[in-house]
Amino acid sequence: MSTTSSLLRYMARRAVDRVAVLFLSLVLQFLLLRVLPYYVLGIDPSFFFLNPNLTETQRELIRKQFGLDEPLFSQFVKYVLCLFTGRLGYSFYTRRPVISELLERLPNTILLLGTSTILTIIIGLIIGIIAVSKRGSRFDATVIGTSIFISAFPVFYIGLLLLLIFGFYLRWFPLAGTVSRPPPKDPVAYLADVLWHLALPLTTIVVAGAGGFALFIRNLFLTQLGEDYVLTARAKGLSEREVMYKHVMRNVLPPVINILALELPGIISGAVVVETVFSWYGVGRWLFDAAMQFDYPVVQAVLFIQVVLTIVSLYIADLVIAILDPRVRLR
Amino acid sequence: MSESPLKRIWYSTKNLLFELRLHKTGLIGLIILLFYTIVAIFAPYIAPNDPNKMQLADSYAYPEWFAIFPKYRNLPRNIFLNIGYHDWSISIEGDNLSVDEVNGYTVIIARCSDHTSYGSVLMEYSFNYSYDPPRRFEGEIPYRVDIYDATGSYVRIKCFIITPSGRSYELYDSRPIAYNLSRLDAPGTYDARDVFLKIKLGFSPHDYLGEKIFNEKGTYTLRLLVQVFTVKGDGYVEVKLANKTFRIYGMLYGLLGTDNLGCDLFSNLVYGTRISLIVGILASIISVSLGLIVGLIAGYKGGITDQILMFFTDTLLFMPILPLIIAISVFIGKSLYLEIALIALLSWMGLARNIRAYVMSLRDSMYVEAARAIGASDMYIVFRHILPQLSPLIYISLVMRIPGAILLEATLSFLNLGDPSVPSWGRMLYNARYAGAFSRLMWWWVIPPGLAITFLALAFILLGHALDEILNPRLRVRR
Repeated sequence: MSTTSSLLRYMARRAVDRVAVLFLSLVLQFLLLRVLPYYVLGIDPSFFFLNPNLTETQRELIRKQFGLDEPLFSQFVKYVLCLFTGRLGYSFYTRRPVISELLERLPNTILLLGTSTILTIIIGLIIGIIAVSKRGSRFDATVIGTSIFISAFPVFYIGLLLLLIFGFYLRWFPLAGTVSRPPPKDPVAYLADVLWHLALPLTTIVVAGAGGFALFIRNLFLTQLGEDYVLTARAKGLSEREVMYKHVMRNVLPPVINILALELPGIISGAVVVETVFSWYGVGRWLFDAAMQFDYPVVQAVLFIQVVLTIVSLYIADLVIAILDPRVRLR
Repeated sequence: MSESPLKRIWYSTKNLLFELRLHKTGLIGLIILLFYTIVAIFAPYIAPNDPNKMQLADSYAYPEWFAIFPKYRNLPRNIFLNIGYHDWSISIEGDNLSVDEVNGYTVIIARCSDHTSYGSVLMEYSFNYSYDPPRRFEGEIPYRVDIYDATGSYVRIKCFIITPSGRSYELYDSRPIAYNLSRLDAPGTYDARDVFLKIKLGFSPHDYLGEKIFNEKGTYTLRLLVQVFTVKGDGYVEVKLANKTFRIYGMLYGLLGTDNLGCDLFSNLVYGTRISLIVGILASIISVSLGLIVGLIAGYKGGITDQILMFFTDTLLFMPILPLIIAISVFIGKSLYLEIALIALLSWMGLARNIRAYVMSLRDSMYVEAARAIGASDMYIVFRHILPQLSPLIYISLVMRIPGAILLEATLSFLNLGDPSVPSWGRMLYNARYAGAFSRLMWWWVIPPGLAITFLALAFILLGHALDEILNPRLRVRR
């Protein structure tokens, strides 16, 4: 059996698995977000956005426009078909296409989550690797202690503390929003303004995430360094550097890639809590607001995008891992 | 040799505690946890007030111990007066009037005579006020007027406050009452926030009346004037006054001040311990049980059962948990126990996978095969051979799952998705964020609840790590 064909077979099998998971998660979402509130708990979403003075016929008409009068099954079929063809429907609240509202917020979220994810990974990697190379030292102990301590903080509380100290006490950073109102005309000033607004939410996410990631990296390396193959490699007389980069790295990468694959979809779907704390005009806050307003098309669309992205990015991770580690394919 | 399971659990717990002694971090975790538990159990005795009781002091009051700083030394304190018959200094004007105490009420009786007469009772109460002007004060005058066979007679009750320099403000005027009226249950009131009162006294609606009236230090006098007009005849008029209350809401209160509604923040903090502990422990127990059941069945049965269960588990793992919980709790939430169930239902998947993998390896081990060979039932094997092997993993997961549940509950409450009647730390922070604690720089409101969450979560994390090292010697890393 050639390497390529085994890889292809493995990836095909994975693809079937992932699509099945995607389908089931769509069913679950549909059950939880549409069937459960409407058919079980009797909460009619139209109740929240219709004018109470409308007559019954007018109500029916509006409900018909949103396709709420059809039988459940056909609603579900339509829902799935539309999601996959990119028609994400209309927001109950603003009556605007979900996709156009999404595109409005997407740049902000990608800016915030993209930079913070990259920073978290870089800082976490550096600290983690330094800690493991100096294991047992005071630096290592500090990293462990700090990471555990930070992991006990609720993310929103880190945000609130930063907001209180740097926003309200010192007044160095703005209290809310994505850009000043009115936004500066000059593009350079505009960029500076956005970065100024970005500082606190960015710091929050990095502080909340980097410690845990560093600890994860450290422990990962540490378990690998305890393995017999490392002992063998050292016994062969390889330098520490060679052991690290040639042997350990190869075994450490798969879980790291998996974690990264799980992080990436967040860049699109945003961080609900941090965006809410800092009133960031992004997808996460939009999702939260929509959920609070029973705006199901929005909630479903964002959750759908998030699930699809998770599945796709994990699939890519599978591919990369399968290339790096041939053992995986035979499972 | 068969010991009772209870005894076994007792021995293992004792051993565990004994070993914990040697782990410094575990011990710290245990001590913090013990502290929280004591606070949670004795919350009603530690907290001075009901956490939901409003108007204990002015809104946004400072903590009492701020008085040690000169800047806050003169902030108004709570002055709650409850003035009864014996406290008033009473002077009567008019010969047909008598004032007496009956069952704790001050009763004024005006007898009709052969001519119409007019009399009044002046009741005065002086108190010392030596702080900065307060923003708010209010008072109640519970009274009851009964007119017996004296139609045409009337009573008028007024209330004044007189400042040390002699300025007099009329706070309350009942207008002439010429009929039977009981305002014992719904007393006549005046409130410094009342716009009409402000205008009547000649101030702007935007002024704080308290600041305008109590801007001097010295002896203030509350004056209650009961005027009685009686017609000719032989009936009488009876005015019954219950204890009059007068409250100046202070700006210094309790250990942590008050929130926007005048609730005691310290009591909220103390009671929040209960919520976090309940949520953390219950959610963890439910979630571990679910993970255990699913993992056991999937791992032990294998085959198609395993595939279906794991498929379902994977699907849930792929779902974004926080957005999903938010979306569901919007229509299902607002109840603590539903919230716990929701947290538990969406957090068992990782453990189920771990347990499944472990059970699979155990299932194929020699001793299980041997047990099966001598005809042991599945139930026997699971309970006798597999579960005991799993117990370290279960203990550790039980502890390690708690901080996650606590943080998730705090997050949900902070997003205003929690039970509004429950005083949780997340809710305190939500209030702080959206009721103006930040712009007032009330760090004593913002910082304690978050630190309380953090240290509780930290206690469980430390304990979990210590348990991990004790129960999982194989995981100890080579250095």
